[in-house]
Amino acid sequence: MRKFFLLAGAAALIVFGALAQEYKVVPLGEGDWANLTVGKYGGYLVVGTWNNPKTFNHHIAQETSSTDVTGQLHAGLTEVNPITDKVEPALAKSWEISEDGLEITFHLRQGLKWSDGEPFTADDVVFTFNGVIFNEDVRTDYRDVLMVEGQLPTCEKVDDYTVKFTLAAPFRPFLRQIGGAIYPAHKLKDLSRVYNPDADPEALNSVWGVDTPPEEIVGMGPFKLVEFIPDQLVVLERNPYYWKVDPEGNQLPYLDGIKFVIVGGADAEMLKFRNGELDVYAPRPEDLATLIAEAEQKGFEVRIDETKPLFGTTWIAFNQDCPNEKLREYFRKVEFRRAMAYLVDKQTIIDNVYLGLGVPQWSPISMLSPFYAPDVVAKYEYDPDAAAQLLDQIGLVDQDGDGWRDYPDGTTFEFELNTNVGNTIREQICQIFADDCAQVGIKVNFNPINFNALVTKLLGSEYEAVLLGLTGSSEPNGGANVYRSCGGLHFWRYSECDEPRPFQQRIDELYDLGVKTYDFDEAYQYYAEFQKLFSENVDLIYTVNMVYRYALYKNLQNTADFSPLAGALGFSDVLWKENPNMVGNRVVGG
Amino acid sequence: MTSFIIRRFLYMIPTLVIISIVSFGIIQLMPGNFTTAFKLNPRFSKETIANLEARYGLDKPWFVRYWKWVTGIITRGDFGYSLETQQPAFDALFKGRLSWTLMMSFGTLIFTWVLAIPIGIYSAIHQYSIADYTLTFFGFLGLSIPNFFLALVIIWFLVSVVNVGALGLGVGGLFDIQYINAPWSWDKFLNFLWHLWPILVVVGTAGKAGLIRYMRGQLLDTLGQQYVLTARAKGLPERVVIYKHAVRNAINPLITMLGMSLPGLFEGAFFTAIILGVPSVERAFWNALQRQDEYVIMSGLMFFAFLLMVGNLLGDLMLAWVDPRIRYD
Repeated sequence: MRKFFLLAGAAALIVFGALAQEYKVVPLGEGDWANLTVGKYGGYLVVGTWNNPKTFNHHIAQETSSTDVTGQLHAGLTEVNPITDKVEPALAKSWEISEDGLEITFHLRQGLKWSDGEPFTADDVVFTFNGVIFNEDVRTDYRDVLMVEGQLPTCEKVDDYTVKFTLAAPFRPFLRQIGGAIYPAHKLKDLSRVYNPDADPEALNSVWGVDTPPEEIVGMGPFKLVEFIPDQLVVLERNPYYWKVDPEGNQLPYLDGIKFVIVGGADAEMLKFRNGELDVYAPRPEDLATLIAEAEQKGFEVRIDETKPLFGTTWIAFNQDCPNEKLREYFRKVEFRRAMAYLVDKQTIIDNVYLGLGVPQWSPISMLSPFYAPDVVAKYEYDPDAAAQLLDQIGLVDQDGDGWRDYPDGTTFEFELNTNVGNTIREQICQIFADDCAQVGIKVNFNPINFNALVTKLLGSEYEAVLLGLTGSSEPNGGANVYRSCGGLHFWRYSECDEPRPFQQRIDELYDLGVKTYDFDEAYQYYAEFQKLFSENVDLIYTVNMVYRYALYKNLQNTADFSPLAGALGFSDVLWKENPNMVGNRVVGG
Repeated sequence: MTSFIIRRFLYMIPTLVIISIVSFGIIQLMPGNFTTAFKLNPRFSKETIANLEARYGLDKPWFVRYWKWVTGIITRGDFGYSLETQQPAFDALFKGRLSWTLMMSFGTLIFTWVLAIPIGIYSAIHQYSIADYTLTFFGFLGLSIPNFFLALVIIWFLVSVVNVGALGLGVGGLFDIQYINAPWSWDKFLNFLWHLWPILVVVGTAGKAGLIRYMRGQLLDTLGQQYVLTARAKGLPERVVIYKHAVRNAINPLITMLGMSLPGLFEGAFFTAIILGVPSVERAFWNALQRQDEYVIMSGLMFFAFLLMVGNLLGDLMLAWVDPRIRYD
């Protein structure tokens, strides 16, 4: 009888404990999550990565070989739904925005624990923002994107589970941008000079480096670090205190862990995937034929979705401040840039460079963004005749009969086109463009150069024309540093910071307006106008975007909604394995 | 002999200083610096990047940074740290890699020498025979196929033609995935051997051809010498003539080569390491080069330069040891 009471007491404690913890329920099987199912526990997800992580400090991490890992270790106040791309509550269960849009109050989930079992409270949030992200010592790219009118928000603790941010002006992207990793105050507070004036200014940059004992790295993410073997493997295991559950109340994640196998590059990764050693692989266009041919036999599937182009854009820019004054005069003419846009043969690029797996890009905003407005964007489809006509109009005609168009003074019109050497896709696009230019008598001197040299030329405004790419995201304000006249990456016309063209002035206004309203439809109108103005003036000539491709072994479940927004790592907390002992297509034992 | 060794070590100091100045200068010729990669990230403002450059001293002239680095070495034995991983420079290069690199390199070295020397001897003795031509042909084939390509061909062959996956075997890396972080066991060791042979074959084939040619050429030279003729005239058995007289003398230059292969041991086989996904010091060094991680590059260069000099010295010493005619005093 006593035993019974003890058990009942223990059960009551467990129920009470579960109630006190405000878990987030992932509604698998309903609504947005309708295609996914409740799974079973066990197994490791095995993925390939090309390089060692450089740090396990998420705010410092720069390239994907680090962020792929650190992204699994941490969580933020808000998160982006991997299916809908909408902002959702994460460590904050709810929030309120004041009438004037300047004060945002987050209510945190109660009873959550860090991966080392310590309680999670508002102190951690306040420490993360005041002590880490807003701290000038820290080499992070989360700080500058939270600047509103040149000022950082202030962050204060209201009570143990409430945090209030105050902004200088309303800032629509705030809820998305505030979702950066929350760091544990109990581990790191002493390293921040905000709280400990004696701390080393580099302490927060060097903490959680690759030599750190894994148990020191504490987070709120679905997994925690267990082991890192340089050049070979990174092992993550389930965080026993993770704060999400499935509709049946099972704690997530289902997987025991994730193994990142460090492979040499795409060729080796592809062979390892085909050999059944990896669960997933993002194939290159040239891999597809081989993969599709043996998919059936080896038990994996290959997904290609032409409606889903990747984020990130590739474009040609003409330097409107270029040192050569004669060129500069023409590069500044919108007719010239339109003529160049007419000469980009997107279909040939898709067929020859992307082997059919590309879609033309016209807008400065990524096609997957909810702000993408395809109907208003000006499109200059491939048309060499129209290009020739425009070039004639602005006085670029062949005077000496050598086949090349000349300036009005009789000298040959020519410019240098750079891209980074070794990027074969970009080099091929440049070749196609240069050939098409030659067809109408424009002399393009294609010269691929070293990436760092190119960046220096670009930011120093010393180039003539360049083909490059930039990463994109669903939030158009992510491009503020590029499209605003004073942006650090406004490399096609830096002089515009002092004397913006009228349409550029309007773009600056639109960028202001677009972040100051919290109303999506209103913001959409502003960004639509921006897309129309920018595409009509063709400061950047966009080329082609590759479409989504993914290959995965069928043993892996809850993969139905993989997309460019989120692949296996984006869905890591709900993935499960039909046979937990299987990696790829083979059983590897317990 | 001792004074010779001490003298050689003393000579190393000015050489290393000159090498360090030249290398540091050459690194500065590379366009951009460590922060260049941040500059195309739209999430960083210009001010933040300028702050970073100032903090890491990248805005200072190169000789100022060089002086700071050198004083760190002299006063604290501190070779600087990696800007990228925030580790001490030598950790960034060697940690978790050194033992594997050395093991693979020694393995390849033994594999190469054990095969190449007998083949070279056989080729020389049977000069212009079919066997000589065949061995020479395969030697050259190995020399002319680029390493990285051979590595790819081997793993492609294992996956696409043999389909080793169906047998539960992995390709690339040092182990199958489930063994990487498992404790050592018989299975793990067997698995390691399965992953080791492509590395030995790929790296070994390239070095072998050269050695075969050297051995063959040297031995042919020696076989034409008068003392070989004398030995034969004395009626010595052919075996003794070849191994005791000819090979013994022909092998001397190869001993020097052996000493000089010391730096190569640490570098490992770079492209092969990348394609086959195995840990290698050279790969870490290459990564630092790409990221312009200044102090790691410098530490790597200094280390390799030092090894080269020690290797030369060892070569000289070994030569003196095998060839009694050589005196350094």
